[in-house]
Amino acid sequence: MNRRQLLGLGLGGSSSLFLGGCALNGLSEAVGNATQPLNERLEALLQGQGPVPEFRPDQVEPAALLVNSFNGTPRLDPARYRLQVKGLVGRPLSLDLEAVAALPQHSCVMRHVCVEGWAAVVAWSGVRLADVLRLAQLSPLGGYVLIDSADSYFESWDLASALHPQTLLATHMNGAPLPAANGAPVRLAAPIKLGYKQSKWVTGLRVTATLGERRGTWEDQGYEWFAGL
Amino acid sequence: MAHTSARQPHHPLWTRAFHGFNLVVLLVMAASGLQIYNANPVFGGRGGAVVPDLFTLGGWLAGGRDWHFGFMGLYALNLGLWLALLIQRRRRRLGELGDLTALKASASAPRRRLSAHRIVYTLMLIVLAFSLISGLAMVKPAQFWWLTSLFAFAEPLGVSSWQALRVSHLATIPAMVLLVVAHVVLSWRVGGLRLLRAMSL
Ligand code: HEM
Ligand code: HEM
Repeated sequence: MNRRQLLGLGLGGSSSLFLGGCALNGLSEAVGNATQPLNERLEALLQGQGPVPEFRPDQVEPAALLVNSFNGTPRLDPARYRLQVKGLVGRPLSLDLEAVAALPQHSCVMRHVCVEGWAAVVAWSGVRLADVLRLAQLSPLGGYVLIDSADSYFESWDLASALHPQTLLATHMNGAPLPAANGAPVRLAAPIKLGYKQSKWVTGLRVTATLGERRGTWEDQGYEWFAGL
Repeated sequence: MAHTSARQPHHPLWTRAFHGFNLVVLLVMAASGLQIYNANPVFGGRGGAVVPDLFTLGGWLAGGRDWHFGFMGLYALNLGLWLALLIQRRRRRLGELGDLTALKASASAPRRRLSAHRIVYTLMLIVLAFSLISGLAMVKPAQFWWLTSLFAFAEPLGVSSWQALRVSHLATIPAMVLLVVAHVVLSWRVGGLRLLRAMSL
């Protein structure tokens, strides 16, 4: 083997070979911690205020929407369902589905992007999260919204993203009532965040001034918190 | 461009620095990208074949994302500055249409080789810039929707713009593997070990 072949072999073979195998995988979290604060700030800046352009209703891709669940599929009794809103609000709420349906209805045809890499265009409709928070007389001290789900999934959002006009508490998907697997009777849906931010089976909203120790089911294991698109 | 002089002058320091740093950061981007690939293979989805651990970086999806998005800024900054300086100060060295003509018509083998060499390394820079653009279209599909929507070109064929985008972004890796092999072979034939030394730090 001459030098030229040796060089080619070395390059072709070793390209990324040893990167993960060595101690580097153990450094992943440190790399994330060092760079995420800047990335998240840029994401928040980019997110701005304006709405994201929507897709046409005929562009929905029902087959592309995969179902992820960390703890099975809770089946909530619609008659006994209540959406609790508490924390830094002037008027804590406990809304039944009729009260939710009585709020102004909005829809959004958006691309749902999963952190795993797949995406699907979905048409969601329901009420604006902002309308629910305002109905509860959101305090100016509020900075974050913590979201509890019936399957004990947990999320936290920054207030600006929660108040975004396309952030919905959805009760319908692709023109039909929300199926249980997709979060019935009420779930979060917004075009500005990755899929894991969009809790299904939402039962409680808590407004707080600061983020606590727990930031989210996946975030606490190492995924990015802001997760903006 | 056979080198008769024993002393091959070094390329400028900044050229060598950008060139070397690019290689390191590119390896990180490729290996962490392949880790992300494994969470949901572009080909085959959940049932698709995954890339062996040997070629991945991060250990799991969140780790791969830590590296990919941790290094994207360094990668973009290095590539952007390198391209700007190259265009401003060393434009003669970049491939151009004349090289294509020489490749087809020149009677001199060394001339043809040099033209191929220039075309190959210039193409690499274009592929890398494209990986950056397609990457941006995937991290920010809501904010940079205009970028993402450019990938709707395959919709008439039944391929969604998201899938076209993922395939385009992934294609950086096979394209770069082929080009780097060609680049190393051509550098070797054009200038041998002396040129390699002149280009290393
Ligand atoms: C600034 C530059 C870059 C950005 C912003 C970027 C962004 C991204 C994003 C957002 C993903 C996730 C895609 C998904 O969820 O499917 C991804 C995946 C990936 N990236 Fe990059 N990337 C960049 C550069 C690169 C480079 C230079 C390479 C390779 C040499 C690369 C290789 C990959 C691969 C192989 C994947 C997995 C493909 C997939 O699952 O869709 N990336 N990148
Ligand atoms: C990974 C991606 C790579 C890219 C994008 C790249 C790109 C380039 C570019 C643009 C030049 C011209 C620089 C100038 O004249 O200002 C160059 C020159 C050179 N590269 Fe690379 N390169 C890569 C990898 C490599 C590797 C792995 C080697 C060797 C092991 C190598 C060896 C050389 C040599 C010897 C030259 C000098 C060639 C000459 O001046 O004619 N490159 N490269």
